[in-house]
Amino acid sequence: MCKWIPQLQIKSQKYATICPSIDMFNFHTYSGGGRIIIALALEMGRVKPSEELMKIVYQCTECGGCAIACKFLNTLEPLEIISKLREKLVAKGHGPMPQQQEYIDAVKKHNNPYNEPHENRMNWLPADIKIDPNAKSLYFVGCTSSYRRKEIAIATARVLNAAGYPFKILVDNEYCCGSPILRTGDRKTFRDVLNRNLDIIEKEKIETVIFSCAGCYDTFKVDYPLERNYKFKIRHTTELFNEFIENSQLQLTNHIPITVTYHDPCHLGRNAEPYQEWNGDKVQLMPLVSINIPEKIKRCGQNGVYEVPRNVLKKIPGIKLVEMERIREYTYCCGAGGGVKAAFPEFALNTAKTRIEEAEDTGADTLISACPFCSTNLQDGIKEAGSKLQFYDISELLLKALKSETKHVKESAVEET
Amino acid sequence: MVLESKIFKEFEDIVGIGNINDGEVITNTYAYNWCMEIFNYMEGKEPTPFSPTPKAVILPSNTEEVQKIVKLCNKYGLVFKSQSTGLGPWNQPSTDNSIIIDLRRMNKIVKIDEKNLYTVIEPYVSGAQLQAELMKYNLNCHMPGAGPMVSPLASHTSMNGPGFTSPQTGHSARNVLGVEWVLPDGEILRLGSAGMKNDPDWFHGDGPGPSLRGIMRGWAGAKSGIGVFTRVAIKLFPYPCSTDFNINGYSPNYDFDIPDFMKLYVMDCNNFKKLESVMLRVEQEEISFMCSYLSGLAVMAIFSNSIESLMDKMAIGQMKAPIVVIIAARTEREFEYKQKVMDLVMLEFKLKNIIGNIYSPQPIFYAEALRSNLGLHGFIATGGFQSSKGVADTAAVCLKSTKMNIPLKKKYIKKGAIANDFGEGTWMTSYESGHYFHMEAPTMFDQTNEHSVKGMAEYMDQSNQLDLLKHLGAPFFVEGNRMHELFGPHMSNYHIWLRKIKKAFDPNNIADSGFYILPKEN
Repeated sequence: MCKWIPQLQIKSQKYATICPSIDMFNFHTYSGGGRIIIALALEMGRVKPSEELMKIVYQCTECGGCAIACKFLNTLEPLEIISKLREKLVAKGHGPMPQQQEYIDAVKKHNNPYNEPHENRMNWLPADIKIDPNAKSLYFVGCTSSYRRKEIAIATARVLNAAGYPFKILVDNEYCCGSPILRTGDRKTFRDVLNRNLDIIEKEKIETVIFSCAGCYDTFKVDYPLERNYKFKIRHTTELFNEFIENSQLQLTNHIPITVTYHDPCHLGRNAEPYQEWNGDKVQLMPLVSINIPEKIKRCGQNGVYEVPRNVLKKIPGIKLVEMERIREYTYCCGAGGGVKAAFPEFALNTAKTRIEEAEDTGADTLISACPFCSTNLQDGIKEAGSKLQFYDISELLLKALKSETKHVKESAVEET
Repeated sequence: MVLESKIFKEFEDIVGIGNINDGEVITNTYAYNWCMEIFNYMEGKEPTPFSPTPKAVILPSNTEEVQKIVKLCNKYGLVFKSQSTGLGPWNQPSTDNSIIIDLRRMNKIVKIDEKNLYTVIEPYVSGAQLQAELMKYNLNCHMPGAGPMVSPLASHTSMNGPGFTSPQTGHSARNVLGVEWVLPDGEILRLGSAGMKNDPDWFHGDGPGPSLRGIMRGWAGAKSGIGVFTRVAIKLFPYPCSTDFNINGYSPNYDFDIPDFMKLYVMDCNNFKKLESVMLRVEQEEISFMCSYLSGLAVMAIFSNSIESLMDKMAIGQMKAPIVVIIAARTEREFEYKQKVMDLVMLEFKLKNIIGNIYSPQPIFYAEALRSNLGLHGFIATGGFQSSKGVADTAAVCLKSTKMNIPLKKKYIKKGAIANDFGEGTWMTSYESGHYFHMEAPTMFDQTNEHSVKGMAEYMDQSNQLDLLKHLGAPFFVEGNRMHELFGPHMSNYHIWLRKIKKAFDPNNIADSGFYILPKEN
């Protein structure tokens, strides 16, 4: 099950699979089920930590596709087992991969995984962006938009300005959210990072934190509360953008005659579904059969952010939205997550190329997403594949549709990763 | 146990770097499979979910590579076990002097012959993949009860193959046409019209001379014990209704646009005698897409996607002998005709359809029926299940087997080894509009509980003994030397002939015999 999109959603042979890892490496071992067997074999002492084991455990984007496919009927949690497997390896001194350790060290030293000087973090910010130091909303820019995908940070800020939405930024006090650390299994460092971030945000008396990065959003929304609760609200920019349009806070006057297809980021979609607190009882009905009272809701990705970005796209004049076969909770990963982009760049690139091909097969001329990390990897994939697809983050496209006095995207030179 | 480096290199030269691995991690993952613990215990071993660990796993990409691998196995005396989608212990090696041939890279739909109603596929095409492509031609294929994620090639060449749509789509053994087969000595054999000298094609499974299809698979298949099947042509069928297949919403609470001409009947026949008459009558009319007997608990399960939602349906579970029928049609006229026939059958037998009256399933049920996903609901109660029995016979024998199994099941329910289905947990379906019938007894156990695993294994063994004692036919898990020697003497000494086939086709005993038969007696 874990190798395929949910069986009932299979529309063609070509796009029936969901796991980038086994798609790349072929052995059953590389599937969600295969990694569960590894965890069992490790527990039973059948296998030992080794270079071979490390590579297999870390050649996974932790996209969670396996979990969604499995849980249509079952209750297994392949993604959680993979995460715990990594944590166990780190705790025993075997993980993470050396390249991942390098970026963890970079976070510890420079507060970002790109090893960039912390003082350059705000270099993306044009002088004419209005920042309101008294705002109750915070735009948490994130490392990738700050250093690598500045166009997303700029477009986001300009759209917020155009909508008249007051926001502040943390400036020197913004640090890595911890997502790239957590995904490698280094929970101890992650805890340090999240505690610092929450201390800062709570001190600022923020009511709402806004994210243009799906990775930061997912980490704050889903992973932080598992360690420490907080009271502020979490919003992804697409959710705000949709509200701006619905409330006529944005005037989309520019006609953009393109055909687009939308890539659901794993961390905005299926993985962004929060855990629901459950304080029920497991009651044995008869030998071997137990039920949860009340029912424990399976985390199947149904509460991710899917419709809002599509609504935004549909509202932009001239745009025609066509869908890929693998979308929403059974989207195919861009290939960058789980520390793969750093440790296994060829794997990341091949996965991106697979997704690019799927986007091309829709007949779209433009690929849209809502995550700077997807943006980087998918653009790398477009380049590597020699594809004619254009790529925009949804914030960039929205900015293009705004009244012409708003400055447009690509105004700032964008560094490639 | 890894391969000698020289041998490893020879294999690697065949498939290329990265397509063979003899590392500890990969070989160990291929040593695990669902229900292995039961079969281990039944063979007198520890009830671990692991089989012997293969020396290596190899991923060929075409028939020629498979042929070279098999020849190399013969050269070095290495046993091979081939697998495609790999579900179940039948994919496991019986010796650590083995390699796994994982056919995952051979995943092409070679041909869909819309006019002559057959398709040619490679091993790693899944049922759902094939069906999705066939639906574009308004066609359908037979899929086994194991589910849409398994390989139709494996089902048609190597396994038993009843399915929920068997009233219309038959049994895997009956749908095989041309076959490409790498024999255990490395020779390639093309069955039927695929082996013709001039203009070979795949439309027929036999040629002049004795049929090799029986030797290839017989009723239950050789589970890789007689070679590797690299391509197979299988029969296709008209899709039963509109191929518009619109799933809405999010997993697991999907919604589905039920096709216009599709209707479900669930009726309580009250007793097995009446059930037999009703099933025969419905199938005599050749109108059903699905016609199954399921225990009350099993009917609850096919309408549920979790144990909690199953418990909401206790009223359904009270039925004593439920029959589940689906009719489907492509035109209104055809649909009206089928409904009228069902109305007459219900009138004749004084039956009431609970659907739309007492209960209405979620629309997604209909999607699962069309995609053959219903068997997977067997996992929701305890997380593990396996079937005993597996008889193919008349409706009367199937129901006799069902009845006689109840006290046995109850014994193991009382021991707390298997979950309580009142002993009635059985699935029975018609094949080919009632030409014959299939019955098996899905049984829920907990594979993480050693008491349950051991009890389940003992129950399955007792169930086999009961089949022999009461002449209830051969269960579909008659496989492996011990079982064939147990059943053979009671059934025309078939095991002697099976052994002769094995010897003739596999003189070096290189194709793993664990789930087939050894060339020599124990």
